[in-house]
Amino acid sequence: MSDVQFTNVRIFDGGGETPFSGDVLVQGNRISRVVKTGYGQRSVPVQGAQVIDGAGAFLMPGMVEAHTHFSWNDQPSLDAIQRMPPEEHILWCAEVARRYLDMGWTSCVGAAAAKPRLDVVTRNAINDGTIVGPRYLAASQEITVPGGLGDTTQPHLPQPEFAFGAVVSGPHEMRRCVRMFAKYGVDTVKINLSGESITGMPSEMSQFTEEEIRVCVEESKAWGKRVAAHARSTWSVKQCVKLGIEVIYHASFCDEEALDLLEAHKLEHFVAPGLAWLIRTVNNASEYGLTPEVTQRMGYHRELEAAVESMRALRKRGVRILPGGDYGFAWTPHGTNARDLEYFVKHVGMSTMEALLSATAWGGPMMKMGKQIGYIREGCLADILLIDGDPLADITVLQDKARILAVMKDGEFHRAPPVRNARTTRWAA
Amino acid sequence: MSDTLFTNVRILDGTGANPYTGSVLVSGNRIRQVGRSTAAISPAGATVIDGAGATLMPGMCEAHTHFSWNDAATLSAIQTMPLEEHVLWCAKVAKRYLEAGWTSCVGAACAKPRLDVVIRNAIASGQIPGPRYLAASQEITVLGGLGDETLPHLPFPEFSFGVNVSGAEEMRKAVRLFLKYGVDSIKLNLSGDNFTPQSPADTTWMTDAEVGAAMEEVRLRGKRGTAHARSAASVKQALRHGIDVIYHASFTDTETLDMLEAAKDRVFVAPGIAILYAMLHEAEPWGITQAKATEMGYQIEWDAALESLQKMHKRGIRILPGGDYGFAFTPHCNNARDLEFFVKYLGFTTMEAIRCATLYGGQIMMKPNELGLVKDGYLADLLLVDGDPLANLAILRDPKRLLAVMKDGVFAKTPEIASQRAWGRAA
Repeated sequence: MSDVQFTNVRIFDGGGETPFSGDVLVQGNRISRVVKTGYGQRSVPVQGAQVIDGAGAFLMPGMVEAHTHFSWNDQPSLDAIQRMPPEEHILWCAEVARRYLDMGWTSCVGAAAAKPRLDVVTRNAINDGTIVGPRYLAASQEITVPGGLGDTTQPHLPQPEFAFGAVVSGPHEMRRCVRMFAKYGVDTVKINLSGESITGMPSEMSQFTEEEIRVCVEESKAWGKRVAAHARSTWSVKQCVKLGIEVIYHASFCDEEALDLLEAHKLEHFVAPGLAWLIRTVNNASEYGLTPEVTQRMGYHRELEAAVESMRALRKRGVRILPGGDYGFAWTPHGTNARDLEYFVKHVGMSTMEALLSATAWGGPMMKMGKQIGYIREGCLADILLIDGDPLADITVLQDKARILAVMKDGEFHRAPPVRNARTTRWAA
Repeated sequence: MSDTLFTNVRILDGTGANPYTGSVLVSGNRIRQVGRSTAAISPAGATVIDGAGATLMPGMCEAHTHFSWNDAATLSAIQTMPLEEHVLWCAKVAKRYLEAGWTSCVGAACAKPRLDVVIRNAIASGQIPGPRYLAASQEITVLGGLGDETLPHLPFPEFSFGVNVSGAEEMRKAVRLFLKYGVDSIKLNLSGDNFTPQSPADTTWMTDAEVGAAMEEVRLRGKRGTAHARSAASVKQALRHGIDVIYHASFTDTETLDMLEAAKDRVFVAPGIAILYAMLHEAEPWGITQAKATEMGYQIEWDAALESLQKMHKRGIRILPGGDYGFAFTPHCNNARDLEFFVKYLGFTTMEAIRCATLYGGQIMMKPNELGLVKDGYLADLLLVDGDPLANLAILRDPKRLLAVMKDGVFAKTPEIASQRAWGRAA
């Protein structure tokens, strides 16, 4: 691994300041020097380092996706995801992991896998170099109840292999289930606290008893695992705060009490709303039979309004809202995740700066890595993107692979910047 | 896909003819033109690779590949790898074979039912890089035979390396299951193996009724039968039942050799002698001393195999490289060593050894008129080698000497630019 010096770049360092011109030196897997250079000033040469002249490109920390499902296979239904055989499914996960890194997501937080070990195996394979992918926290399957979101078994086909999630009933089964995933080596236990309108149980309903949730949290914490919840309903959001579930996905329906609770505990929780799912299900899923009339009837239009209102309120109260969520369906394909940042600006009222920070500065603690990632600062891990354009002026440039000139993870280029004037003749021997 | 022109290369075309200097134009996934002159073909927009005198030869074919063997020392250590990890392992190994110059591989059995099929499909769809591949079934065996790794108190099929059958009807069912999964070949363990002392190499395990039922189904669906056949009786059994690919064939008598010779236009023999050599001389770190290996019967088999294979070679029976790489003592991607063994122990010329991996490779891959040679119209599977493999076959095992690997017109390993610049420029 050779050292790399980026010169002539506009540096967004993750601290929320206006970007500045400068040089960044990467040695090994860390950022060892960040220098501001004035106009016309020449950079200090470094012996032996590969020099990347950024020609004014925007250099920023690698982004963190807070709600990732590598094993969702861009299909239109849970059943179609679940039916992929395990051999093909793990290869799919490997392919998708690379795609995330391609698109500048140098870290991802797994939010549930479609089969018990997919996330764990993918994480391990990334870590040992078998496959290429972002830093990853592995999740369990979704733990749910009979009839709840994720129970895709049918009355005549009750075998657990037909279920998308892990179906449990009662605290005893819950404990056993959590222990099984802990044994498999997950980082996060995912529990579906609320329904999901597309599945039959509406988003405003809550499916578990408090006792079951308590056992889930207790057992997870005993194993040192984090709990993440699918929580769209008001009651489920409150349960997250009350029982100490750190990661709250969706939080669409927050009443005043829920907002107060979240604000009071804002440094103990992360909220990843996954707005793309709502926005695109309402607007972009007609070709899969989900016309606006259908989604209206399902309740998604109302939920979108509620979710936007909740997020606007949470933003004002300083609760950490992070991008990511439910990419991997046919109408939210993997790799388009930076749309979330656009939605934050358009719908939630964030500035482009806040949107960028939600994907960088808040990504470190979301990855349980504190301030080691998410910043372009001396001593931080070298997860770096080089962008053609200014995301602060136009947040959508991050959705365009061609504008993401380079992706570096842990000091190594996953995608090296294109060299200008590449010659057509190659010489061998 | 842009066209590629190799200029100034020494062409070793795979037919057995002597190399000549020339240039080769690849257009799309095929070799469009082979020029036998030092004057290059007109590039006309093609990427030009100046070979600077390097050898250009056909991509090699491995005739007995086990992607799913995980470089472990025992069958059960291979078998106990969980499914998900096993698939990723296979994907990783497939890429390494391609980069090592094996542009085609013939699957010879996998350790779980669908591993080979899934890997073949993923390669074919472009999801993962790998050689052209023919997918095999698991090894089908009988109770107590090679591949039955179940223990008396753990009789569950998931514990077994191969699929255990007993009787023609169970055989038929097992074969049908693999055919349903989409394999290209059905692998039958006809003989034992000294690796499993309860079923040594010179023993023969299946009834003709069982083999017959298997081959009936194989023929019905237009697939191929392959056999693990070390004993003379098992080789003859394979030939009687129309099995085309015979692995090992260590022990032969005159009748066996006559039968092989009579079938030489359809039969391929891949002896896999590396494992015999390794067990005798290189397995001590895993507890198999030479004395132990000799006691297991490997010295007797080695001597018999050399004699058998030398005779087969004289009779013009096609012998191909490959076999049982993927154990701790025969790690993956050393496979070109087989060619050296052919020369050193079986009396091949280096040219004959190369031809086994190229001309015969196209034939065993079922593409005899479009794969395995550097020839106009053939599929563009090519290696650019720094040096002369005819003078030193060992360079084929050296990644540094393998300058470029092309499969189907696309570089799997791109030749390095001689004066690579130390800096890049973005934006």
